[in-house]
Amino acid sequence: MMKTIKRAFVGTVVAAFTFVGFTQTVQAAMIGTEQVHASNAAQQQDKARIAAALDRPEVMAQLEQLGVQRADAQARVAALTDDEAATLAAKIDSLPAGGDVVGTLVLIFVILLVTDILGLTKVFPFTRSRR
Amino acid sequence: MRAEVRRLCAWVFCAFALMLAGCATQTHLLQQQGLPGLPRQVELASTPFHPQERFQCGPATLAMALNAAGIAITPDTLVPQVFVPQREGSLQPEMMAAGRRNGALSMTIPPRLDALLAEVAAGHPVIVLQNLSLPAAPLWHYALVIGYDLDAGDLVLRSGTTERLSLPLSTFEHTWSRSGYWAMVALSPQRLPVTVNQAQAVEALVAYEKAAPPARALAAYEQALQRWPHDLTLQMGRGNAAYRAGDLRGAESAFRRAAEEHPGNAAALNNLATVLAELGEYEQATEAAEKAAALDGQWREAALATLQAIRAARQRAGR
Repeated sequence: MMKTIKRAFVGTVVAAFTFVGFTQTVQAAMIGTEQVHASNAAQQQDKARIAAALDRPEVMAQLEQLGVQRADAQARVAALTDDEAATLAAKIDSLPAGGDVVGTLVLIFVILLVTDILGLTKVFPFTRSRR
Repeated sequence: MRAEVRRLCAWVFCAFALMLAGCATQTHLLQQQGLPGLPRQVELASTPFHPQERFQCGPATLAMALNAAGIAITPDTLVPQVFVPQREGSLQPEMMAAGRRNGALSMTIPPRLDALLAEVAAGHPVIVLQNLSLPAAPLWHYALVIGYDLDAGDLVLRSGTTERLSLPLSTFEHTWSRSGYWAMVALSPQRLPVTVNQAQAVEALVAYEKAAPPARALAAYEQALQRWPHDLTLQMGRGNAAYRAGDLRGAESAFRRAAEEHPGNAAALNNLATVLAELGEYEQATEAAEKAAALDGQWREAALATLQAIRAARQRAGR
């Protein structure tokens, strides 16, 4: 239910922005590099473009949920390309987050110690692997 | 019965060991064949070092790469730009975006050890994503590759709280393969990665133009045009960046060249017409806009609007 309401809201906002976007293209005398590139590279379908527009509010909401401040999230979403926004929207929970966190249990500790020494991993600073 | 169980255990153990061992194939190849045209040993020793705080290898690594590209920034400034608190780490797309946001040209490089070393040899420190642990209990980590020594079989990194970590190439390959060999550079716009292809470079430059100040975008396009002089998107980008930087003559020559080399593309003619009109050269501007409007395709409407705007401006100017 909440999700439907959210979707509907996002849809309205996007529609509003899209409309603004269209009026601008007719008035603007310069054609942007991105437009040329998009039409050039792979005939970008309207569908794909609308999907890309939907990704951004989605990513922003997700970032906020994951503890990012609203103002930061806004700036971060603005800096993404369409592709990056799509990747994040689809995989924000499954993408690897580089941050050195490991849930080390005893068994895993022992395995990792061995694999460190074998030179397959590098978890512990004190290991020196064989070559 | 006992013996069977024991034999089974032995098999399982062997299979497990084999599965883990895998081969550091690329390392073996590299060490056997060397890298034609590249030095045996490189270290970008002047690369600054920021020891990471807990969970903050992303911001620290990016800050080091940006510093090396001549951009003054600290990891603390980057934390609100890349760190995701609940995930206790930073995500790859945001590392790329934050590089651009701070004025650097972000690009991923091909997922190969030879490409990684080629970038380092070209003087470009490379940000890599490693899983230092095993897939079952991942330990994702960003580090900055700053050197290698093929004779010793080592890679040199700025990693975590270690200023100079020397890691056997094979160990590095194992940890790196778990991220799908993900690596990126964040360079000053005067430089281009040596290993990227045209399509990747164009994609990255278009993204860069949107984020960077026009003068920097212009520098980046000019650099790329030296390598791929006939690319339409790059030529258009150069014109648009020059236009936004206020260099109308530069924009004019860029669009003129794009229109000459790609005569079927109305966008170049349309933009050329606009620039010429702003320079007060209405005769030529009208001619270009008419040519653009005569071409069929998706820019026709824009070209007609430009033509109208030029005629109106011409009337106002009384010429």
